[in-house]
Amino acid sequence: MPDEERPTGEEAEVDEVATLSQALAEEKERAESYLANWQRAQADFVNYKRRNEQERDEISRFANSRLMLALLPVLDDLERALDSVTPRLEDSSWVEGIRLIERKLRAGLEAQGLSQIEALGKEFDPNFHEAAGHSEGQEGIVAHELQKGYMLHDRVLRPSRVIVGNGEVSEE
Amino acid sequence: MGKVIGIDLGTTFSEVAVMEAGEPVVIPSAEGGHLIPSVVAMSKTGERLVGQIAKRQAIVNPENTIYSIKRFMGRKWGEPAGRELPVEEDAKRKAYKVTKAPNGDVRVAMGGKEYSPPEISAMILQKLKADAEAYLGEKVTEAVITVPAYFNDSQRQATKDAGKIAGLEVLRIINEPTAASLAYGLDKKKEETIAVYDLGGGTFDISVLELGEGTFQVKSTNGDTHLGGDDFDQRIMDWVCDEYKREQGIDLRQDKMALQRLKEAAEKAKTELSTVQQTDINLPFITADASGPKHLSMTLTRSRLEQLVMDLVEKTLEPCRQALADAEKTSAQIDEVVLVGGQTRMPLVQEKVKQFFGKEPHKGVNPDEVVAIGAAIQGGVLRGDVKDVLLLDVTPLTLGIETLGGVVTPLIPRNTTIPTSKSQVFSTATDSQPSVEIHVLQGERPMAADNRTLGRFMLDGILPAPRGVPQIEVSFDIDANGILSVKAHDKGTGKEQKITITASSGLSKEDVERMQREAQTYSAEDARRREEVELRNTADTLAYTAEKTLRDNKDKIPEDLHKEVEEKVGAVRSVLQGTDIEAVRRASQELSDAMQKVGQAVYQQQPPPGAEPPPGGGDDEGTVEGEFREV
Repeated sequence: MPDEERPTGEEAEVDEVATLSQALAEEKERAESYLANWQRAQADFVNYKRRNEQERDEISRFANSRLMLALLPVLDDLERALDSVTPRLEDSSWVEGIRLIERKLRAGLEAQGLSQIEALGKEFDPNFHEAAGHSEGQEGIVAHELQKGYMLHDRVLRPSRVIVGNGEVSEE
Repeated sequence: MGKVIGIDLGTTFSEVAVMEAGEPVVIPSAEGGHLIPSVVAMSKTGERLVGQIAKRQAIVNPENTIYSIKRFMGRKWGEPAGRELPVEEDAKRKAYKVTKAPNGDVRVAMGGKEYSPPEISAMILQKLKADAEAYLGEKVTEAVITVPAYFNDSQRQATKDAGKIAGLEVLRIINEPTAASLAYGLDKKKEETIAVYDLGGGTFDISVLELGEGTFQVKSTNGDTHLGGDDFDQRIMDWVCDEYKREQGIDLRQDKMALQRLKEAAEKAKTELSTVQQTDINLPFITADASGPKHLSMTLTRSRLEQLVMDLVEKTLEPCRQALADAEKTSAQIDEVVLVGGQTRMPLVQEKVKQFFGKEPHKGVNPDEVVAIGAAIQGGVLRGDVKDVLLLDVTPLTLGIETLGGVVTPLIPRNTTIPTSKSQVFSTATDSQPSVEIHVLQGERPMAADNRTLGRFMLDGILPAPRGVPQIEVSFDIDANGILSVKAHDKGTGKEQKITITASSGLSKEDVERMQREAQTYSAEDARRREEVELRNTADTLAYTAEKTLRDNKDKIPEDLHKEVEEKVGAVRSVLQGTDIEAVRRASQELSDAMQKVGQAVYQQQPPPGAEPPPGGGDDEGTVEGEFREV
């Protein structure tokens, strides 16, 4: 730098202070961004941990839901079988045996938290029932149950499939 | 900025996903499951229902249940038809009332009020937003939403408006095929032509995209708005009904209940046949006639299914041909093919697509979720997740130290994200051991000799004490640059030693892979060797503690029992000199049994008041023996 332009002692100091101030400002900004990112990562971690614990809880309570859902059609079929016993076979001990088996299967599942959803005669509620159609009957009340619905603990495993009354009532 | 969620706002189903720890995650709905039906309803009591709940009451509340609203987004009455049917046509097919606003816009009636399509979509978006907030535990205010590639400006704007009404700032609207490409990371490549084949439940879409300089351009789109997985299910149902009529003379189509069961069974069979060659359709008590109950039991093979739906699959190829022509490309010029939509899981579909385009399609990501995942990835990019200063590494191989018997005790398992630190307390192997050697190892094999030595150092000045008593805390610390420091700290004397190792990541990728492979190959043998070492260690400890017990309880143990134990201890010590591991196991068992008798003998006596209870024979719980034997 040519002589006449060389800064004096004071000017040099001022320049240095300016440079340092700027560097400090940049570092501060960087530090803030690091802190923010760290906080964000920490928060993500805490949330993830919390959710992980919740999920583990759920998994242990509802681990069986897939299996149960797969078994429900079998329970349905057993019921169908027993509902259509012909009068001739009604008293046969073999049929009685099947009844006992159905009861046992049901009891076994209930011990694991399965419970039936009440539908017939109740007010139609899409939280628990799935409507398959209308028919004669009191309006908004379940007139027929096509397929039973079940809860696993406090959660709907399969909604009841129902026919809902439309308010028409046939004359006697 | 909070998390940016990615939303696949579909005609029949919607989904939401978000980036978490660098990976996209599909968010489950409050009812469980990932797919939320795009259905909104107003119940008789004035309650608004969205999603699965709304779908369940659709049949008994048809005028107030709005579905497939996407078909009306951003459209006007009297508009010329594009890919979709004209509004007039579509409106006729809906069970709910579709009306015309003064300016020609579409309105739908629900619960006695009129709504614009964006308002209805906003209700769906609100539910997705609420589910996301419940899942993440934080507020969500920004989103990326996907639309079909053929959506025009007005349709895109309507989608953005829907977001706004739902309280979401829509950072970007991206095309569904683009989102699918993002989900497969195709944006990382440079210049590519991509074909996205989307076969869902009710519609088929084919898009040709061109990727250049980081942006995706839609070159052409085509499709069939009434061709999808539901048609495949119908084919199966028709076949079953026809076969049953032939065999049993009963027409199941007349029986609503039977049809319902059959529909579910058909869908299930179709899904199963994507992984197995044949499946049973088994419906006991499907119906009844004069002679009694009737059952349905049929086998459906994959080849029969393929015959039934072949024409449907081939129907998708004509739009593909057209799309290529419009994009002025040949199938050879397509670099990548991406599959979207549940129906693309079918092997026949994958085969036909592969034949048509002449290359293997991308299908690793769940085809029902791929669009939402792509939207989430885009959301992450917009949020700046990817541009973060922090790119975290992982340690490629397990790090540990050598312990008694020449085995490795791992401290930091492989693929741990760094920076990280871990400590564990170890102890001495012999009585009055004055120092310990910390031998730092890297690798997956259980025996120290088979792994890579990173470093060694000694910590001395350990005060004389019985083995297992001193507490030496060994800490491993890896910083963000991959530099490992290992410290050994004697908790009793306070003495410390440490070393710093920079070469831990000096292995090439091939070396790392080789070491991992070798660990696999030798895993059975290694496991056996490790088990042997552990047996020997246990036997050794057993002998030591037996002797100590004998010494401490001299007066309480009858002479002959004392002799017996001494003999057994001698037996154990002598087999340990040899290599017969079975002999070691037997001798240990005998000594253990003898010790049981000692325990009984001691406890049967009344200990004099003030005497110390006999030691249980265990060392400090939780410390691991350190092999620090001087050779």
